Amino acid sequence: MPDSADRYDRRTFLSRGASTAAALGLAGVGLPTLLEGCGSSTKSAPHVSSTPGVSTLTPKRGGSITVGLNSEIDGFLPSASHFDNSGLTYANTIFDTLTVVAADGSAKPYLAQSVTPNSDLTVWTITLRPGVTFHDGSALTADVLKANFDSLQASPLTGPALAGVVESFVKVSDLVVAVNCAEPIVAFPHYLSTQLGYVIGMAQLDSASSTKPIGTGPFSLQSWVPNDHFTAIRNPHYWRPGFPYLDSITYKPIVIDESRENSLKSQTIDMMVSHDPNAIKDLRDSAGFQQVLNPSAGQGDMDFIILNTSVDPTNDIVVRQALAYATNVDELVKLFGAGITQPNRSLFPPGSPYRADDNGYPTYNLAKAKQLVAQAAPNHGGKIELTLATVTDPRLLNEIQAVASMWGLAGIQVTVSTVEQVTFIDNLVTGKYQAYTDEQFGASDPDLNYVWMSPTTASGPIALNFSRNKDDALEAALQKGRTMSDPTERIQAYQEVDKRLAQDLPYLWSNLATWSLTGSTAVMNFNNLTLPDGSRALGFANGVYDPTSTWRSS
Amino acid sequence: MLRFVANRLVQLVVICFLISIFAFLLVHLLPGDPAKTILGPNDTPANHAILLKQLGLNKGLVSQYVTWITNIFHGNLGASFLTKETVTSSLSEAVPIDLELVIVSQVLALIVAIPMALVAALRPNRAFDKIATTSTFGMLSLPTFVAGPLLVLLFAVTLKWVPATGFNRLSQGLGPNLKSVILPSVALAIGSVTVYYRLLRADLIATLQEDFVTMARSKGLSTRYILVRHVMRPSSFSLLAGAGISIGTLFTGAFVVEILFQLPGIGYQLVNGIYANDYLVVQGMALVAAVAFVVVNFAVDFLLTILDPRVRRA
Repeated sequence: MPDSADRYDRRTFLSRGASTAAALGLAGVGLPTLLEGCGSSTKSAPHVSSTPGVSTLTPKRGGSITVGLNSEIDGFLPSASHFDNSGLTYANTIFDTLTVVAADGSAKPYLAQSVTPNSDLTVWTITLRPGVTFHDGSALTADVLKANFDSLQASPLTGPALAGVVESFVKVSDLVVAVNCAEPIVAFPHYLSTQLGYVIGMAQLDSASSTKPIGTGPFSLQSWVPNDHFTAIRNPHYWRPGFPYLDSITYKPIVIDESRENSLKSQTIDMMVSHDPNAIKDLRDSAGFQQVLNPSAGQGDMDFIILNTSVDPTNDIVVRQALAYATNVDELVKLFGAGITQPNRSLFPPGSPYRADDNGYPTYNLAKAKQLVAQAAPNHGGKIELTLATVTDPRLLNEIQAVASMWGLAGIQVTVSTVEQVTFIDNLVTGKYQAYTDEQFGASDPDLNYVWMSPTTASGPIALNFSRNKDDALEAALQKGRTMSDPTERIQAYQEVDKRLAQDLPYLWSNLATWSLTGSTAVMNFNNLTLPDGSRALGFANGVYDPTSTWRSS
Repeated sequence: MLRFVANRLVQLVVICFLISIFAFLLVHLLPGDPAKTILGPNDTPANHAILLKQLGLNKGLVSQYVTWITNIFHGNLGASFLTKETVTSSLSEAVPIDLELVIVSQVLALIVAIPMALVAALRPNRAFDKIATTSTFGMLSLPTFVAGPLLVLLFAVTLKWVPATGFNRLSQGLGPNLKSVILPSVALAIGSVTVYYRLLRADLIATLQEDFVTMARSKGLSTRYILVRHVMRPSSFSLLAGAGISIGTLFTGAFVVEILFQLPGIGYQLVNGIYANDYLVVQGMALVAAVAFVVVNFAVDFLLTILDPRVRRA
């Protein structure tokens, strides 16, 4: 489904003290994609470079900007707060991660000076930058880092995401911590670019405060009034010389896309994040804005329908095949994508090396769908009936009604319903559903999605593998991808994952999710963060913005 | 008079008591278990039991209510499990927004409705009356979720006179404050203008046909004097009662406008709380909104007795 609002890793878990949310924050929206050539547009902005969000002019210091976000967060404690794209944006403002994903897709040291493995990738040594201080003046040391890691490991929120990855953290010296992994973890540096990689001050750790963040980041908290605004002021002692340029930055959660768009157009705000294809298109076509998109490449979030493989009738592979054949993805994207979103039939987007050229995913074939329904019906009381649900969002409801209509043509009796968001999440993790809309899997490395797909997390009353798909071949491929350092072998492994998913059909792929960051032409260089080694950071992805390099021209 | 006020005060206390019970029972009437909601998928039996104890939900209903109401009298309405912000703190942010919205929108509505009704009533069925009646009928059919975006499109997006969203507090300056509140207030006032105009016009026309008005005219008193001194007062009962209901309703009923304009008032917080199953926020906001409604209507009743002593005896 285009741009589902019911993404698991956004508002979904924000109201929950759920362990499952951990990985959502970790592997979900917070992870930039391995993008090559982000889509973008600039109109009527002759004084900026031809690349939106990038300026070659000498940065101007001072001033402030206001950024409209699509949601509010529940706090600033990485071990307890549920960081969706807005949460990660807030976190990038106050904290730093140990690594940051670079434009080439690699995870490079950031707050860490280096992150190096032993020969078999089972021990990763993190060396911190010397002389870094938190907003309260305390020093960043190995003790603080270890305390952060211990807190994350003990947390019911983030602990499960670390469970299969890390065994222990050991202080080696004043600035060095060794991470002992349960098995070779090739993508470990990528984990440090997620919610797991933010380092908070000891005072915040001790108080477990989710409202008074103490970080090392470019800005420090000035005020936060939930659902109204979050304002942060420049950190004069920031460890990156020269950064940040702005004196202050304010974020406003404006949940309605149209209101956020009107706010930008009326100059109430200077920049906005959007996930709505119509708003994205409208702003793209309007003069006076710079727009950065991440729609087309890398492993961004995917919109899809998730099928519960543990309940009738979706536990029947023939039924799942019928549903896949009956779903006309191209037509759905045409109807609801506003020309912005692209259809997709894979876990990985076009251009990703992990995408199998021919993964075998069923393409729309109504006749085949009808045949499969006829074949499966006798095993389900003579007819196939199921409920397809989404959250209470009129746009999504329209979309699933279209899907239900398609399935109905194949002879499947579909009840369409909407479910209040909190219940929706509960039902997903406890397996009390048949078919739901979903949006997941944005990650800088495919291993970050292990927890969502592995058969090891598919059982029990609560399952992080929401589809509860149990496939030993899939697990073998996931394990191979996790532990093999040879790029070619990893590519083969994840191509196998793609094929297994196309065969098991726990997910009916729909389209690549689209996010945009649109700013007025007065906001400069908002997507051009350079890393300490001089390379360029990946920048805006999956709705997450970093304000460090931004400056204001007027 | 004193007896009347005392009687009404007793009624007010009883109603507030009943409201508090209802607000308290909200958490038990709503589907689901608050502890389950808070814990979500982390809802193991052990965690569940610990949280119930922490929340005091393992005690009997009466005991829970006594604890809750005692805490309220100490200014403690609990805290959002989502943001950890106390409900009292949320209210202190939200109430000024609602108060200002209500005051500005109702002043605007009255400023427009009263003169219109006066002119229309003086010359009923003439051109102005017909135009005013027709246009207010049109306004009545214009819901705030339509009026709001139209106003934003014209005054914020096109003309850029005012911000499209957000609330600037008075501490940020009177100008920015009024700019941020004017559009939502107009959106809210549109509905009220219609109601006030129609109520007042009808009462004015009826009063103008009374014998004492004919007498006043025969004595050569000016129309303005008659309207102000003799007609307005007996014609304003319905208007006042309508205003009371309207003002009370706006404390929570403005949530559509608050969401459209991103104003974190009581209605906005209440809706957010409901979506997040943040039951302490819902409880607290619902209690305050309901009490505000009752208190406003009590004040209106009191005003009515001043305007018309017969009400006291009714």
